[in-house]
Amino acid sequence: MVDRNLQRAQRVAGAAEDAVRRAAMPLRNFGFPYRTPTVPRGVEVPPEVSGLGAHYDTEWARRPLASSVRTMIIEGPIRLTARVLTSPEIVGTDRLADLTSLDDPPPVIFAPNHHSHLDTGLMIRSVPLAWRHKLVVAAAADYFFDKKWKAALSALSLNAIPIDREVTGRTSSDLVKSLIDDGYSLVIYPEGGRSPDGWGQDFKGGAAYLSARTGAPVVPVFIDGTGAIFGKGMKRPKPGRTKVVFGAALRADEGESTRRFNARIQAAVTTLGDEAITDFWTARQRAATGTNPPLTGPEHTGWRRDWALAERRKLGTAGLRRRQQRRWPDLG
Amino acid sequence: MKALQVSRSVPKLGMARLASAVSPLAAAKLGPLAYTTVDEPELPGPGWHRVHTRLAGICGSDLSLVEGHASLYFDDVVSFPFVPGHEVVGELDDGTRVILEPVLGHEARGFAPPFEGAAPGDGDDYSHLSTGALEPGIQTGFCCSTGGGWAPTFVAHESQLHRIGDMPDERAVLVEPFAGGIHAALLAAPVVAARQDTTRPAVVAVLGAGTMGLAAIAGLRRYVPDVEIIVGARYPHQQMLAKAYGADVVVGPDGLQRAVRRATGCHLIGDHLSSGAHVTIDAVGTSATVADSLRITRPRGRVVLLGMPAEVTVDLTGLWHRETELKGAYTYGTEHLPDGRTARTFDLAIETATAVEAERLLSATYPLSDHVDAIAHAATAGRRGAVKIAFDMRTGDT
Amino acid sequence: MPRPGFVLDVDRSTPPTLFWHGEGFRLEKLPADRSRVIYAPEPHDAIDDVDGAIRTALLHPIDMDPLPSLLFPGMKLTIAFDDVSLPLPKMRRPDLRQRIIEQVLTMAADAGVDDVHLIAALALHRRMHEFELRHALGDRVYDAFEPRGLLFQHDAEDPDNLAFLGTTDQGEEIEINKRAAESDLLIYVNINLVAMDGGWKSTAVGLASYRSLRHHHNPTTMEASHSFMDQHASELHKSTWRMGKVMRDHGPKVFQIETTLNTDTFPQPFEFLAKREWEWNAKDRALYLASAKALAKAPPRTARKIFHGIEAPHQMTSIQCGEVEAVHKVTTQNVYDQQLVEVEGQTDILMLGIPYICPYNVNSIMNPILVMCTGLGYFFNLYRGKPLVREGGVVILTHPTTNEFHPVHHPSYIDFFEEVLADTTDPHVMSQKWEQQYAEDDWYRHLYRTTNAYHGVHPFYMWYWGSHGMKHVGKVIIVGGDAATVRKLGFTPASTMNDALEIASDTVGRHPTITHMKTPPLMIADVK
Repeated sequence: MVDRNLQRAQRVAGAAEDAVRRAAMPLRNFGFPYRTPTVPRGVEVPPEVSGLGAHYDTEWARRPLASSVRTMIIEGPIRLTARVLTSPEIVGTDRLADLTSLDDPPPVIFAPNHHSHLDTGLMIRSVPLAWRHKLVVAAAADYFFDKKWKAALSALSLNAIPIDREVTGRTSSDLVKSLIDDGYSLVIYPEGGRSPDGWGQDFKGGAAYLSARTGAPVVPVFIDGTGAIFGKGMKRPKPGRTKVVFGAALRADEGESTRRFNARIQAAVTTLGDEAITDFWTARQRAATGTNPPLTGPEHTGWRRDWALAERRKLGTAGLRRRQQRRWPDLG
Repeated sequence: MKALQVSRSVPKLGMARLASAVSPLAAAKLGPLAYTTVDEPELPGPGWHRVHTRLAGICGSDLSLVEGHASLYFDDVVSFPFVPGHEVVGELDDGTRVILEPVLGHEARGFAPPFEGAAPGDGDDYSHLSTGALEPGIQTGFCCSTGGGWAPTFVAHESQLHRIGDMPDERAVLVEPFAGGIHAALLAAPVVAARQDTTRPAVVAVLGAGTMGLAAIAGLRRYVPDVEIIVGARYPHQQMLAKAYGADVVVGPDGLQRAVRRATGCHLIGDHLSSGAHVTIDAVGTSATVADSLRITRPRGRVVLLGMPAEVTVDLTGLWHRETELKGAYTYGTEHLPDGRTARTFDLAIETATAVEAERLLSATYPLSDHVDAIAHAATAGRRGAVKIAFDMRTGDT
Repeated sequence: MPRPGFVLDVDRSTPPTLFWHGEGFRLEKLPADRSRVIYAPEPHDAIDDVDGAIRTALLHPIDMDPLPSLLFPGMKLTIAFDDVSLPLPKMRRPDLRQRIIEQVLTMAADAGVDDVHLIAALALHRRMHEFELRHALGDRVYDAFEPRGLLFQHDAEDPDNLAFLGTTDQGEEIEINKRAAESDLLIYVNINLVAMDGGWKSTAVGLASYRSLRHHHNPTTMEASHSFMDQHASELHKSTWRMGKVMRDHGPKVFQIETTLNTDTFPQPFEFLAKREWEWNAKDRALYLASAKALAKAPPRTARKIFHGIEAPHQMTSIQCGEVEAVHKVTTQNVYDQQLVEVEGQTDILMLGIPYICPYNVNSIMNPILVMCTGLGYFFNLYRGKPLVREGGVVILTHPTTNEFHPVHHPSYIDFFEEVLADTTDPHVMSQKWEQQYAEDDWYRHLYRTTNAYHGVHPFYMWYWGSHGMKHVGKVIIVGGDAATVRKLGFTPASTMNDALEIASDTVGRHPTITHMKTPPLMIADVK
């Protein structure tokens, strides 16, 4: 029974091969330049610059046709996915009103914390309209640009550009500079990658460096809740609620080092993170004393860290905020 | 003689009721009222006089009868067929002009009065209304034995007659309704006198400024000291007259609650005032006005129903909770004035009608034969800028 | 470069002039050769970096130390801000008050200040709705302070929370919000839409009680204020400045923040409202036609909703802070720079189109009393020097003036209209006979304190506001107004502008000079 099926399959495969062979027969007559050249002996071919990773050229994805396709993708599936999975609440965009109200808003660098692949879709959907359609996303070159199809998809749908995770290399920073000069804004995750355990990581200097290099201000952003929805290592997303808090734009002060500026950005995101679970005034007060709960979580290791994470998430959008009693003047 | 007569015809009453929904004119045409030949009533006995009608007013209760709205309550204290008309000025055979005090009291029916010098309306037992020498009837104009004012001639007992000297007919015909209004006004007096805060005048609200409402306003101003009178009146001429008769504040019907609140400085809880008028006189008598009256009267205040209400639907929870007193004001008798005087309402009404020149309220007169127009006019008096409509039988054309 | 204000002499080729008419417009052809139309100056350029300007101002106040050095741990800090009556129309988010207060709070947090109260300086205005507070303060400040019970609306009828500061040399009593009075620092955040706002008027009026307000909000003072827009000729301001002197000696330390706005008043599609008619292009004309027709057909509620939804694009042109009087001097100059229009001589007839809004009907209804107040109280007073209309002249207003009141916001107005105006329209008589009753009516007090109602005495103040205008002019005509309502105000109704001019001829003769002040956008006529 089994044998007969196998025989039948073999016969079909053979017939198919013959057909293909016959169809391909004419091509045999076409050699170079229709085919890759063979390499003469004794010649050393210099290693080809890989078109992948940090060197993937995303220029095509910013041409009009690709842009309009992307607009449809962003306003369609990405928006829908972000909405269904993350039901975002977006606050703080009014802090950017000075910039958005200009006829031609200057490019900025958005520096959100990073917990999930969903962050990028959410960011694209959340940034004020003035920037939304001229936005590029810095994506890890070693993850999103390691395969042709992945690279093409990222470039087309997210307008992603490849950036080295560890040290922002020359290629990346030149690319970013020219893009910003062209009026593109950038989303970059200063943490350099998704959080491994649900807590944040210390910011790497990428955003600060690029800001200093290009002159574009950094907008700190805190994204709350995506870690619980589709964090690193989760097999499938668990829909939930998120909150995206935008902060006021920051610029490197005169003579400020990248390191210090980076620390300031991290502090700003930390304050926004505090604001997301408490309120503006509490966060400001704690920022003044340096007692905002750190993004990177408590110092402990092991279960206490996870335990604290659960507490933190309870305070976030998933949990209910405790409200104090309304107190208008007491009228007796 | 030809006169207007109401017969007890159930289909006609029903027709009138339906027709009145369309127009008062139709109700008058189709209703139980007919201009027909009737026998002159005979004198029932000694003390009775023949009265020749000069003017006979059309009253709100007459209208409701003509339109078939009168309550079944009246079935046993009215005798059909009767000639309506109880606001009458007429003359006796000897030419003396008289006003009729229409209530058919103890004396008229041959009973001893409840006390010395009682007016026909006095007493606390109404058994005499359906017994005695006459057919049942609460007053002239609802009794088949005496006839009524909407006929050239009817009979009246000596106890019902007030001789009026040289008062013009036009003023005299308004004395009867004035007596009703003044009676209601005087019902406010005890509550006004018993109020706790005597530093401010008591607030008395009057709903409606037809003849009765205006009479009540005049009576309040004249006989009840220390009151602020707030009137809700729909039509401009009514508002003007209300002001002229002594109202302090005159507003449209929608503004009454606000005006009372302003005058008393109280709060508003839901649709009831937290406090309100000490006394409210409802001179309209519909479900809506009774409900309004209860809403604007303060707890333990008094609502006087001056307009004949017939059947109304009212939520009495507020009355229960606020212990509002609901007081009827039918007619007149012997009054005890706040200044300690005792007087008959009719004498007060004559006094008041003279003082305020009540003839201003008589807007138009019709001959009996034009009764359809007359009744239509009376039914729409407010809208047409009129107050009181009367039949005029002085020309002798009947 | 924005153009300054402009006075047009109407000739035969002048297109019809746009008049405001409540929630609508009308185009009126004015008589040629004797009519003028005053157009407001075009909006000045706004500051691009608003937040930076605010920060700079807070760090470099006038005649005072930088804000951070005035803040110290353990202090009582109170931030008072203008209520919903400013600016008009409401500005696009973020509101200036939000921007300023956030920065002040940031500095306070940096300085370790824990005890901070925010107070809406309502005086006798209605309490603000939550959405209005959120608009003014932004969600961040609201969500941080309201749940903690630290966001207050000034209650002028709360005896426990008022502090008596003293009396001026003219016997005027000063009683203001107790928390403000007992603070180590009182910061007042102003939006100075017109020259009248700000200075000592902010604290001495905005945070005061009836006891204090009656000394300057009365017919005598207001009649002698020529005009409210000229501080030095305004008795109202002199009185509040006297109070300010007492406050300086006995009150809290005040850090005054004043801001000015440009006159960029109307967003799309209503931009044509601020354009001169002969400059309307095809699009403007189409928009005018579409909106005028649609608004005329729309139910009044819908039209009102559309208009009150307008958020003006006006933006900050200056911010200064520090010592009250020094700051106010600069502010006033800045307002004048934007708003003054030079006008040559007075006129026989002054025409004013009354728009849908005034400071007292934000998100509400422009009732007849407010129509009178806007016309004769506000617009009439938009002058410096002498009034635009000669003494004994005629004022013609255009407004539907229906007998309609907002039952929640203006309960005492209804009674005022029915009861007081039926008795008298003379401000002096009503202040003697009726004012106290209304001021002390327990129900109005209750509504003012617990709901969103204006204080019982407020309609009187509105009427007094127009007392100078009423005394000055010989006749007031309202074109298009409901006849019975207009008469109750003591004015004359007219159905068309031609009728109005005909009626006016009884007072000013057959060939009067006419001036139409086309406001909003706001301006101040500098009458030579």
